[in-house]
This record gives sequence, C-alpha cells and structure tokens, in this order.
Amino acid sequence: MFKEGMLALVGAGFWETIYMTLVSTFFAYLIGLPLGLILVVTDKDGIRPMALVHQVLGVLINIIRSVPFLILLVAIMPFTKAVVGTVIGAKATIVGLLVAAAPFVARMVESSLKEVEKGVIEAAQSMGASPLQIMLKVLLPEAKPSLLVGSAIAITTILGYSAMAGFVGGGGLGAIAINYGYYRGQTDIMYIMVILLVIIVQVFQEAGMRISRHSDKRL
Amino acid sequence: MAEQNTMIRLSGIKKRFRQKGGELEVLHGIDVEIAKGEIFGIIGLSGAGKSTLVRCINLLERPTAGKVYLDGVELTALPERELRQQRRSMGMIFQQFHLLMQRTALENVCFPMEISGVPKAKAKERAIELLELVGLADRTDSYPAQLSGGQKQRVAIARALATEPKVLLCDEATSALDPNTTAGVLALLKDINERLGITIVVITHEMSVIQEICNRVAIIDGGKIAEMGSVEEIFRTPKTKIGQELVYHEGSNREAYVGKLPHCYRVVFKGGISNEPILGRMMIDCNGVVNILSGNTRHIEEQVYGQMILQFPEEKELREKMIGYLIEKGVVVEEVEYV
Ligand SMILES: Nc1ncnc2c1ncn2[C@@H]1O[C@H](COP(=O)(O)OP(=O)(O)OP(=O)(O)O)[C@@H](O)[C@H]1O
Ligand SMILES: [Mg+2]
Repeated sequence: MFKEGMLALVGAGFWETIYMTLVSTFFAYLIGLPLGLILVVTDKDGIRPMALVHQVLGVLINIIRSVPFLILLVAIMPFTKAVVGTVIGAKATIVGLLVAAAPFVARMVESSLKEVEKGVIEAAQSMGASPLQIMLKVLLPEAKPSLLVGSAIAITTILGYSAMAGFVGGGGLGAIAINYGYYRGQTDIMYIMVILLVIIVQVFQEAGMRISRHSDKRL
Repeated sequence: MAEQNTMIRLSGIKKRFRQKGGELEVLHGIDVEIAKGEIFGIIGLSGAGKSTLVRCINLLERPTAGKVYLDGVELTALPERELRQQRRSMGMIFQQFHLLMQRTALENVCFPMEISGVPKAKAKERAIELLELVGLADRTDSYPAQLSGGQKQRVAIARALATEPKVLLCDEATSALDPNTTAGVLALLKDINERLGITIVVITHEMSVIQEICNRVAIIDGGKIAEMGSVEEIFRTPKTKIGQELVYHEGSNREAYVGKLPHCYRVVFKGGISNEPILGRMMIDCNGVVNILSGNTRHIEEQVYGQMILQFPEEKELREKMIGYLIEKGVVVEEVEYV
C-alpha cells in the first residue's frame, strides 16, 4: 500500500511534528511562565497585589484562549508573516502555536503555583524574603512537580494543535494526514498518522508524569 | 520597664479586617511590653485574636492603628526594604510547620541564610550546627515528608534560628503535636531561651504550655488583653472570668462539674503544702467531708503548686469553717461560679 518514498515522507513528518511541538512549547513557556507568575503574584491575596495588572492580563489571556485555534492561526497570519516571512510550513505553525499556547501555559502555571501553601510563603516573608526571592526560591521550586505535570499536558495539547495546523498549510504529521487521508481519500495513511500521534502523546504524557513523580519529594 | 530592657513593645495595636458587609475589628487596642530574654505567653480561646496579634509583631499583618517596636526600632515606620532586614532578627514558627517540602532538612535551614546572602559553605556549616542543637544531626538529608511532626517542628525551629534572631515568635507551635512531643519541643524552646538568650513569644490556647515555659502571660479575650502578669500570679489568682476559665479548665474534665454543682471551690497549695495531708486534717478538725472533683500538680518557675477543685458541704456554717481553716493554712481558696 505504501508507495516508494512514503516512508521517508512519514519520517520527515514525524520529526517535523516533534520539532514544532517542542520548539513552540519552549517559546510558549518562555512567555507563559512569567505571565503565570505575574498572575499569581498580582492576585489580591498574592505577594504583590496589583488589581489592574491582574485584571488586564487575565482578560487578555481569556480573549486569546477563547478564539478557536484554527481561526486564531488565520487571524494572526499578518503577524506570522512579519515574524518568519511566511504563513505556511513548520516555522509559520510554530508562531501560531506559541501565540495560542502561551496564554494556555500561563493559566496552567498559575494553577500550579496556586497550589503552593500560603503558609510556606508567609514563612518566607517572615524571614525577610523579597517578592523576587519568593518567586524564585519558593513558588517555582515548591510547585515543580505540578509544573512538570502541567508541561506534559501543555506539550500534548500543543501537539494536537500542531496536527490541526495541517489544515491551513502547517507541516508535520497533521498535514500528511489531511493531504493524503482527507483530500486524496487514502484513509489508511490517515489512520497511520492518527496512530503515530497517539503514540507520541502517550510517550510525552507518560514521560512527563514520571519525571514529575520522580522529582516530587512529598512522596 | 526601662526602654533598654524592652525587646518588643506594642502600643495601641488595632486591627480591622475588611469583610463582606463592613469591617471587623479583631484587635481593639493592645499594649504589651516584652522584656529582653523572657518567655512571654499569649493565651486565649479560639478566635480571640492571638494569631492576628503575633502576625502584627513581624508585620505579616499591618496593624490598622498602633505602633510596633523591636529593640527600640519602630517597625511600623520602616519602608519595605528595611522591614525585611528587621524581620531577619525575628524567627517565627507555626502550628503547621510550613517547611519547604521540596528541600531537605538541611536545605530548609539554609533557606533563610540564602535569603540574607550568607555564603553557601558557611550557611551549610551553621545549618548542621543548628540541626545538632535541635537534636536532628542524623536527619539532615531527610525531606519533611519523611519526618514526624515533632521532627518537622525541630527543623522549623532550627530554620528560625538560622539568622541569629533576637526574637522567636511561636504561633501554636505545639498544637499539632502529641503530649510527649510537645514536652520535648517546649524543653527545646526553654533551652534555646536560656542558652542563646533569645526572647520568645509563645501563642497558645493551652494553659499547660504557658505554665511549662513562660515567665509572664497575657490573656487575650475578644481582641483585648483581659489580664497580664507573672504566670504564678495568674495561676494562683486569676482575676477575670476568662482567666479563671483558662486556669480551671486546665487538665481536668471541667465540663463535668463547673457550673453544674453548687459550693465548688478551687484551692491552690503552694510548694510543699501539697505534700502535707492538710485536707485530711481539715476534714477531721472540722468534722465534715469535701468532695474532690479534680486535682493536679504544676511546676511553675521552679515552684511546685497543687490545685484541686473541691465541693464543700451544703451546710453554710460548716462550709465557712472549713474554708476559713484552709485560708489560715495559707491555701488560696476561690469559689467556682455556679450557674
Ligand atoms: N484575613 C482575615 N480576614 C478576615 N477576618 C480575619 C482574618 N484573619 C483573622 N480574622 C478573624 O479575626 C479573628 C481572630 O482570628 P485569629 O486567627 O487571630 O484568632 P486566634 O486567637 O489565633 O484563634 P485560633 O486559636 O483559632 O488560632 C477571627 O474572628 C477571625 O475570623
Ligand atoms: Mg491562631
């Protein structure tokens, strides 16, 4: 059933998917982690309550999160073009992915950091820790296991988005599934892509959970 | 109290919390002076405002009004950065320990030193010393989850001492511990007070904790100081209703009789008196019997005290004769309210 070269195509698509997912997850965290921190710190019971900052940021995040991914991808095409010079292929997809994923990551980070017991933060304050020290030495390290679980969820979500991006000219396994499976009716190829995606999700999810469990000292 | 002997001075502390439907005043103007080197207790029932009050001492909670002085420095007047500096001279321990769960015991003790910029090697050296001091030399690499409650509190104490504070604030530090472990932690606090000369403020709802280690005590009720004095004084003759409640309550099944039986009196024997069969003599000499409802012995500041709750006979004349007999022998006798 496989034509010559199909295997190479799938192989390339596989690596492209991994590449897009990891790079955009990285950038999504680069943006989302500080945003999540700001959300927690500026909350009304945070260590530096700033209602305005908290609200503006929250609304902005909610707006981006409420736009369906494919529409967002199309809507930001001018921005994508300005950043990477093209609107199709893996590079362009990465821009779309990180714009869509950063607010999502910010919320994941926020909820992880909120799990840190308030008393522990107070103990640090009672020792004279500054807000920055509390962020770097208390909030992030104490939330590490939960942040790792969050990152496994973020990676798999971003992977799902990257497959969707195949519809609008993105690369990777999603594009192959759509081009061959959907447009040319080769459903077997589509199923193979789906199976591959499922396997990748499983691997990332399981690895993330294991690393998290391993790093958690609460037993 | 001369200013240079005062470690903590609270003057006119008020605290209001904003709530749905208005404001709630939790502290109504508290004035306390705590001397250098003493162990000062603050006792009260749940909701009295004890935690709020200690949190006002290191300004985890900003008082709505009033001033807080630490060793002559007005904390309430300091900008944020200098306040953080001052907080390093006040350690605090909590009922729930609040250790960093992702750090070992050693790393927990190093934490405040990291915050204040002590070089790593030096911090580690001091942390090991401190863990030795609290009796955990062999648990340096354990994570809090691997330690018992008492051990966690010892780590927390070592951590609080890391920056060589002048003051140690303890908010219900033993309330989550069993009686044996409590005794161990209290002994440690007393030892720290004596060896390092650190002033300790102990918040508790248990009179036994106060009696065990405190020199002076303030009873707080409804956000006000109800009475304040030496532990001995308050134990022997609590003047306020809340004081009596806390003292009588202590170590007895109070609900069983207080307020339910008539002619109940609390008697306090000082020192060796409790060894003498004074009650027996009184009963023979007065030709009547009393009903012993409860009794215990306390060590307060190296002194032995016995306290008993007795029910005296119905007959007024006999009762008064017996009470007169005891008072003459130097026993403190107080009627327990009957409602
Ligand atoms: N942040 C807050 N906002 C509103 N009310 C508060 C706040 N903190 C404390 N209170 C109220 O202040 C009162 C005193 O609380 P506090 O915690 O000081 O009591 P406590 O004496 O320590 O009691 P416990 O023995 O139960 O710990 C309570 O009525 C409590 O509901
Ligand atoms: Mg309390």
